[in-house]
Amino acid sequence: MIIRGIVLLFGSFILYVLQTGLFSSFSLAGVVPDLLMILVVSVGFMRGRTKAMLAGLLCGFYIDCCYSSVIGIFPLFYIIVGNLSGFAHKIYDDDDHMTPLLLTAAGEFLYNLMYFVVFYLLQGKTNLTFYIYRIMIPRVVYTVLVSIILYKILKYTNLFLLRFDRDAE
Amino acid sequence: MKPKIKNKVRKKIVVNPKIVFWGLTVFCVILIIVSYRFSDTFSSIKNVIGSIVAPMQKGINDFGDYLEDKVDHFSDMDKLIEENNALKAQIDDLKNTNQILNQEKYELSYYRDLYELDGLYDQYKKVAAKVISKDPNSYSGEFIIDKGENDGILKDMNVLAGNGLVGIITETGSNWARVRTIIDDASKVSGMFLKTSDTCIVTGDLELIDKGYINVSQISLNAQIYDNYEVVTSYISDKYLPGILIGYVSDIGVDSTKLTQQCRLTPVVDFQHIDAVLIITQLREQYDGISEVFKSDN
Repeated sequence: MIIRGIVLLFGSFILYVLQTGLFSSFSLAGVVPDLLMILVVSVGFMRGRTKAMLAGLLCGFYIDCCYSSVIGIFPLFYIIVGNLSGFAHKIYDDDDHMTPLLLTAAGEFLYNLMYFVVFYLLQGKTNLTFYIYRIMIPRVVYTVLVSIILYKILKYTNLFLLRFDRDAE
Repeated sequence: MKPKIKNKVRKKIVVNPKIVFWGLTVFCVILIIVSYRFSDTFSSIKNVIGSIVAPMQKGINDFGDYLEDKVDHFSDMDKLIEENNALKAQIDDLKNTNQILNQEKYELSYYRDLYELDGLYDQYKKVAAKVISKDPNSYSGEFIIDKGENDGILKDMNVLAGNGLVGIITETGSNWARVRTIIDDASKVSGMFLKTSDTCIVTGDLELIDKGYINVSQISLNAQIYDNYEVVTSYISDKYLPGILIGYVSDIGVDSTKLTQQCRLTPVVDFQHIDAVLIITQLREQYDGISEVFKSDN
């Protein structure tokens, strides 16, 4: 359990740094892929609801610490997405690479929708069509493209850790 | 084999996910309220985490820039050779013009003295900084720079790039600082038309910046303004130093209330490709103090 926690802590940290640093040099149409979302959804798919919520809490805190004036909003977004993606754990299969992509797309869409409601709608900005067309769709597409590669890395990390657990016992 | 292992791991934790979900949700909501109410206490926690993240982001970012450079390098080679030849010819031209301009500079400084325009921003002390990370939520217009309190950066300092206003420092840590750009939806800058001295409010806009504009509103109906007039930061702003160029206006019209005019503004800074900025290490309050001293001296 402790090893898993440490791996999650470092993994999410590396993804956060990549997302805000490296990928901002490679932004397409002005958006960056949401690597943390891929992590949360993948953990939900591979490990279940509780783990995904904990991963979401951690990922949200990274964003809050550097980019938000109040702490707690982004963890909440990621917890909700993590919780929902965790339901898909029931149909988890090692060779299934399609479901996590769909889940990532759905999760990213939901996340952006919540972001829109909290940060734009409450400020009186109601142009949802513009927001969908300009930010949401490019972001979902870019995130899904990156998740094709990233999910494989996360899956093998998970399988490696499972073997580790077995050895420990 | 595998399902068995999963069951073993799962048996250790028997908390219902539903309870975890609601527990964490309530925890987050309480955290939002508490951190909003006691923002001072929480800023020190953020500071600690920020100072750990900043150096790593700097490294990663340098690596990203390096890769981007390499990619551009190959794609732009032919273009560069062509451009180089054109630029060489231009240099000769510019050398000539420069000489003439140098002469005019003396004249200008003389006139400036006459007008007492001591607020022009080439006289402010500035610190250069690199952008090390951009907001992960693609379009909110905030970024983090690699200089902080250790380099004398304080909250509310003005940030420039090239010769135009970028934004303002909203939060600082020991080795990082957060900048809110003028294109951010939450940004409001008190501006002024350089030619007519009419004041206005420059507001960031997510939708318009896509077309390269931001909003200008609250211009007096009597103001005689035309396209391509320069807007600078105004003398009545309490956070921005006066006389910093913001951009050029277009599409002037009367707003929906029929009481004021509004227009669009093209910022002089290219916000899509911003990677290095200058921070004026002088706060607006200090500026007012200094100019009063000057006046009493005279």
